[in-house]
Amino acid sequence: MKKSLLALLLGATVLVGCDPKNEDAGPSVPASPGVYILSEGQFGKGDGTISAFGTASKALLTDAFGTINNGSALGDVIQDMGIAGTQGYICVNASNKVEVVSVPDFKSLATIRNIRQPRYFAATSATRGYVTSWRGPYTSYQPGKVMVLNLTTNTVIDSITVGRNPEQLIALNGLLYVPNSYDNTVSIIDAATNKVTSTVTVSDGPRNVVADQAGNIWALCSGFTVYNTVSPYNVISSTPGALVRFAAASPATQLKLAFAGGSPSQLRISPDKTQLYYGFNGAEYKMSTTATALPTTPFIRRNFNGFGIDPRDNTLYAAVSTGYTTNGRFLRYPAAGGAVIDSFTVKVGPNGFVFY
Amino acid sequence: MVFKFLAKSAIGSLGRRRGCVLAALLAAGATAHAQTAPSRPTAPTRPDTLTTRAHRLPEAQVRAVRPERFAVGSRRLEVDSAVLAQYRGGTATDVLGGRLGLYIKNYGPGQLATISLRGTAAQHTAVLWNGLNIMLPTLGQNDLSLLPISGNTQLAVQLGPAAALYGSGAVGGAIVLRTEPDWRPGLRGSVQADAGSFGLRGGNVEARAASATLAVRVAASYRQAQNDYPYLVREPAGLVRYTMQNAALRHQWSFSPDLAWRVGAAGELTASVWLTDADREIQQGTSVAGSNAREIDQSRRLVLGYRRTTSGGGQWSVRGAWFEDIINYSDQGAISNSRVRTTQSQADYTAPLGPRGSLRLGLEAQHFAALVDGYGDEPIAENRAAAFALLRYDPRPTLRLSANLRQAALPAGLAPLTPTVGLEWDVYQPLNSASDSLPPAQRPGLTLKASAARTYRAPTLNERYWRPGGNPDLLAEAGGGYEVGLRHRLGSAAHLALETELTAFSQLVDNWVQWLPLGAGGAYSPRNLRQVRSQGLEASSALRLRQGRYRGAARISYAFTSTQKTQGIAADTDPVGVQLAYVPLHRATFSTDHAWRGWLASTAFTFSSFAYTDASASSFLPAVGLLGATLGRTVPLPHHTGLTLLVQSTNLLNRRYDSYPARPAPPRAFSVSLRFDYQ
Repeated sequence: MKKSLLALLLGATVLVGCDPKNEDAGPSVPASPGVYILSEGQFGKGDGTISAFGTASKALLTDAFGTINNGSALGDVIQDMGIAGTQGYICVNASNKVEVVSVPDFKSLATIRNIRQPRYFAATSATRGYVTSWRGPYTSYQPGKVMVLNLTTNTVIDSITVGRNPEQLIALNGLLYVPNSYDNTVSIIDAATNKVTSTVTVSDGPRNVVADQAGNIWALCSGFTVYNTVSPYNVISSTPGALVRFAAASPATQLKLAFAGGSPSQLRISPDKTQLYYGFNGAEYKMSTTATALPTTPFIRRNFNGFGIDPRDNTLYAAVSTGYTTNGRFLRYPAAGGAVIDSFTVKVGPNGFVFY
Repeated sequence: MVFKFLAKSAIGSLGRRRGCVLAALLAAGATAHAQTAPSRPTAPTRPDTLTTRAHRLPEAQVRAVRPERFAVGSRRLEVDSAVLAQYRGGTATDVLGGRLGLYIKNYGPGQLATISLRGTAAQHTAVLWNGLNIMLPTLGQNDLSLLPISGNTQLAVQLGPAAALYGSGAVGGAIVLRTEPDWRPGLRGSVQADAGSFGLRGGNVEARAASATLAVRVAASYRQAQNDYPYLVREPAGLVRYTMQNAALRHQWSFSPDLAWRVGAAGELTASVWLTDADREIQQGTSVAGSNAREIDQSRRLVLGYRRTTSGGGQWSVRGAWFEDIINYSDQGAISNSRVRTTQSQADYTAPLGPRGSLRLGLEAQHFAALVDGYGDEPIAENRAAAFALLRYDPRPTLRLSANLRQAALPAGLAPLTPTVGLEWDVYQPLNSASDSLPPAQRPGLTLKASAARTYRAPTLNERYWRPGGNPDLLAEAGGGYEVGLRHRLGSAAHLALETELTAFSQLVDNWVQWLPLGAGGAYSPRNLRQVRSQGLEASSALRLRQGRYRGAARISYAFTSTQKTQGIAADTDPVGVQLAYVPLHRATFSTDHAWRGWLASTAFTFSSFAYTDASASSFLPAVGLLGATLGRTVPLPHHTGLTLLVQSTNLLNRRYDSYPARPAPPRAFSVSLRFDYQ
């Protein structure tokens, strides 16, 4: 019987040695210029990842954080990453934390814990950062917070109450513009005092704000789809989305471009701040910042889960997520759109790009 | 609904690892050889056949004809009652996973645990209790952690498609639970208390009494566990130790009275009740912060049966059952409640076909009444019915055949017709052995076995009625497959017996249901989309030994399971041709049991190769080998009483592993049980 056990253990040992190997090309982050691709991962499995892609070398490191940091897992649902100076701030939504890494090599620098449901990061300087944070369970959302970070010590030094479900904020001329996606407002914060100085009413469900060349603020409002908070979680009501423009100096004067149904998402602006991009009804649209009407023809007829424009050469990066059980891909398009240049596989649920 | 997204598939290039497989097979071969050396044969006992039962039941006039009599040629795993007794404080998860080494997707101790038989999904294993399907009608599956062992006296696993015998859901196989009346006259009973690592506390009582006409058994068990065990997380600075949160089993009750009453010379009335109640914190994954989910699961099951033997040797059997299943889930103010009441009835007649065969004809009907938050405010009702014919015929004592058929009627139409044929042929039996008194099916020798079956799975209530997305037009999944194998028995005397079995199988599930965002407004909706093929090899060898006052047994098994999606549609992005998620290619088990004088020792080693955790064959749970052990001592006391002390350990090798992504399993854990028996 001992012999049997020995033989079995031997067999088992051989099999244990047969776990699949990591297929990443190399042990380091491809040299700059490059792009980080954020993959949410499968909720509850803690397998969110960030891939690093060298735009010149086309080398891809699929799990940059794990590979560089001794196999550590980044966490659950990677929502956003922002860069301040040589530090990257990664909002890990379901893990209630912000991971801090050095850029571009992705070495872990710190973990800022106990930021509830962190969403997006913005910095006003290399030493001051802001993270939006949702409050309350999905059955009863409460006014959210903007957490103020000291980027030298990587600690939370203050928090500012804003509207419900604050999303993708921007910093502009000493002010922070915070879209409150469960309300119809944009909170404006004075970064010098960390106080809300005004709250601008836009349209239902603002998620992203960008600033254009002329100093106008554009807010993309997805409209409200109100679901029953208890099952069957059916749609109770919905309001249309809108793209809203206002000047920083006169926020009450607005250009409001309403969408016919649907729910627009992922507002981006070109590096020269003259072209807007957004996703709507399963396609990507492009619109000049001087336009006064929404485009009627899609720019790329494809649904993307994330979209980015390389500030160095305007190459377009688009994330394709094929459900939450399979790996996703990112595609590269020439600046003018048209045919795909190439595509690469990344982990489950790619949703955004950060250029380094 | 999330369950369905999770219960998906994955990955794997086989060729790359062929070398490993070969090495493992070679190792297993050496083992088998080592076991064949001794040869003092003994009679193997097969409690699942009529013939061996007879001597145990002197008044066997109303002995039930079990469905497994008609399952000729298919593979079956039976858990020895002595082994089952060691787990009487535990659940089906402990026995099926830790002991039989079947693959269980387990979210942690006491948490959701679902089984994958022959590479199929959780909904593809039917669970039967006293002949009735007890799969949750809403989810179409069972959480094995909610099936305490104390509630039943028999546990067996039937592998392979078997809907003709067991009805909807028996695609990968069926778990067969039963409470068998104990007709030994007199009073018996036991009281047991358990305590173990990480706040485990429990206990159980059992009492049995029988007269010539009445047999009663009452069993109850209780268990609670804090599950506040330490686990390590690899962080950039190194390994960091955490303590598991929100994973407690607050309580788990099981209460199961059973009664069998012989009515006259030819009738038997049975009544069985099984009540279970569990209150659990639900662990959402250690990477998710801030959840405090909790779930109450309650099941009430009642079955009344009557059997009557006719003067011609036939047997009537009727049964009626009523079940209530409650699942109440809450997390941070979000509440999801569900209650389903099921009434079932079955009637069958088994006719003898001369001395060589029997034919059973039967009908069954089910009615479901569901009040589920996810279906809206209105209750949902659904009816299903089925007719079946089971034939067993042995043209010669050494050639046994069966042919079965079931046709079910479902609300959306007829389910696929599910015929089954099976064969067992004793190719070779040595002459002049001491086993001539045994029935041919149990004599030493070499037996060829084969079976082919079609099977089905009825759409679950969630798949039909969930809002949004529920699809009332969903077809039943259809499956089919075959298996061929050899069984070799060595030894027929009282001292040693070796039984070796080798089985190859291939099976297909068509119209495999998948939830995709294809419903109105992009809602996830279940569709009949896929074809999934599973192929594999199962080898096992069991040795039984008796020498003086020593009793020993050793069992080694190996399973190779290759399961892949073979067809799909464009909208279903899971790739074809890769190993499904949560189906390890290789599994192996080695268990031993020893009893000597008052001592008892058992070990069980289970090995599982890596299992993918996504459909792309990229992320995976690494391979792991786990050892469990039990050491016990029984001290006889006066007046037919005795005291037994059991010390059990799980994860004795203290392996650090995740039983599911972000669900670290407990480290080495111990429990101590003290039992007082009266007989």
